[in-house]
Amino acid sequence: MSVDVTGVDRETLVRPIQTFTKRYLAALAVAFGLIGVWLFFYVQQLQHGLIVTNLADWGSGGGVPWGLYIGAFIWWVGIAHGGIILSAAVRLLGMDTYQPVARLAELLTIAALTCAGVFILIHVGRPDRLVTSVLPAWPTRVQWSPLMWDVTVITAYFVLTATYLALTIRYDVHRLRDRLPNVLEPVYRVITVGYTEKEDQVVERMVWWIAFAIIIMAPLLLHGGVIPWLFSLLPSMAGWHGGVQGPSFLSIALTSAVSGIIIISAAFRYAYGWDELIPDTVFQGLAKWLGFFSLIFLWLQLQQVITGIFAAPTTLQHATEVKIATPLYWVAIGLVALAMLYAFATSLRPELYDIRVLVGMSVAVLFGTLAEKVLFVVEGLQHAHFDLYAGVPGAYIPSPVEISAVLGTVGIVVLFFLVVSKVIPVVELHAIEDHEEVDA
Amino acid sequence: MTPLAASAVAALASGPAAVPLASSPEYTLPFVGPGTYLIFGIVLLPVYAMVAAWFIGDPSDRFANLLGLGYLAGLTTVLWGSLFVATIIIGVVFF
Repeated sequence: MSVDVTGVDRETLVRPIQTFTKRYLAALAVAFGLIGVWLFFYVQQLQHGLIVTNLADWGSGGGVPWGLYIGAFIWWVGIAHGGIILSAAVRLLGMDTYQPVARLAELLTIAALTCAGVFILIHVGRPDRLVTSVLPAWPTRVQWSPLMWDVTVITAYFVLTATYLALTIRYDVHRLRDRLPNVLEPVYRVITVGYTEKEDQVVERMVWWIAFAIIIMAPLLLHGGVIPWLFSLLPSMAGWHGGVQGPSFLSIALTSAVSGIIIISAAFRYAYGWDELIPDTVFQGLAKWLGFFSLIFLWLQLQQVITGIFAAPTTLQHATEVKIATPLYWVAIGLVALAMLYAFATSLRPELYDIRVLVGMSVAVLFGTLAEKVLFVVEGLQHAHFDLYAGVPGAYIPSPVEISAVLGTVGIVVLFFLVVSKVIPVVELHAIEDHEEVDA
Repeated sequence: MTPLAASAVAALASGPAAVPLASSPEYTLPFVGPGTYLIFGIVLLPVYAMVAAWFIGDPSDRFANLLGLGYLAGLTTVLWGSLFVATIIIGVVFF
């Protein structure tokens, strides 16, 4: 199945590269503004230490050394899964409907993983600790430490996705070169080094295998594996422990990922008048995915709540009771449920579909999944076995420094897309090629 | 630590031919833990299969395969290498 893009030509595809509008400048200003707000607060953290976040140690913030930073880290890795969902749908399952947004999703993976890395970088305090703590220790600690497993597999995911992008972009840059800016010639020469059209078939097979490798490694073994294992392998935290965390983390990741793709794709469609290139069919399909993943998300939350309150061990029962007594948890669940109901309603009655509502629902889902992840991290720590931190004063409330980092990373993603869309085509040539005369 | 790993640690740490990791605390011995099989044996298995398929399958091309491998190795090196350089700069400038 594919979408009808017969009216779309190559000029449309490179429109982001060939145009420069006030709207673009405004978006650039917003991105720099968000990053600037974060840098203002981050400089304070660098000057005074993590104490400005209340995350410095167990002596403040009610015993919560992990808070919004770690919640947002998991959230961004979850959003990063959009790339592989779409690439797998197109390359492995032949669902060409999603071809027009596949590269946007792959780029979102790169940007979101970078943001996840930023959260680890700022959470370790001194930024050089990322290297001094990881590199010398890696050969021995990767044999034992879930933290090192995490670093290893996220690096692998990032590198595989970037390789996928680097290999697939050669085809497009070579064929669209006459429409791309000459000032970037050195960049295009590096991208297409050694390119011949004979490699197309070989590269197509190679990227099929990359998609195959990532679709097994990233969802099942990264977001359903090493990331939940950071928590679920620790029996001292009742709210974190247990095998259900793997599927639960994955369901939240996939829900966030589809929301992220919807928002980015809608933004490009709106900005560049790409109604024909990314037609409603694509968004209606994505809405169904959003509905399905939201359903799985809610189902796994139900599993955790029921097993946690029916006849659970005391500490798990306590952790679950705290969870369901937290209003923000129900806000998160409610937002995801609302998105699910809307997605399924548009399937039953297509006249209810409105791209603006769908984007609004996607933003709501992203807020809900971030809230759920932060609550998971914070409440898991606050309600450990033996009331481990009961005597620790204070309560965890996200500090302005942490909140600014979330805004800053959103700014980084916006800036990333604004810059990349001026350099390479953000929609694959394959998306329109079936309908045009290919000038080989 | 699994019983198997524990007995391996005991055997290696007490034997005259213990693994020569003089600076490592005992609990890091031997050089094998759950991550050894979990990460290198299971999680990265799809990556091994991918690289093998590049070279074994058809159509295949030596240049494209090496380019793919170059990206994998090069991007990993650039990622951590640039962080390493940043660390050196931070050390020189601030400490």
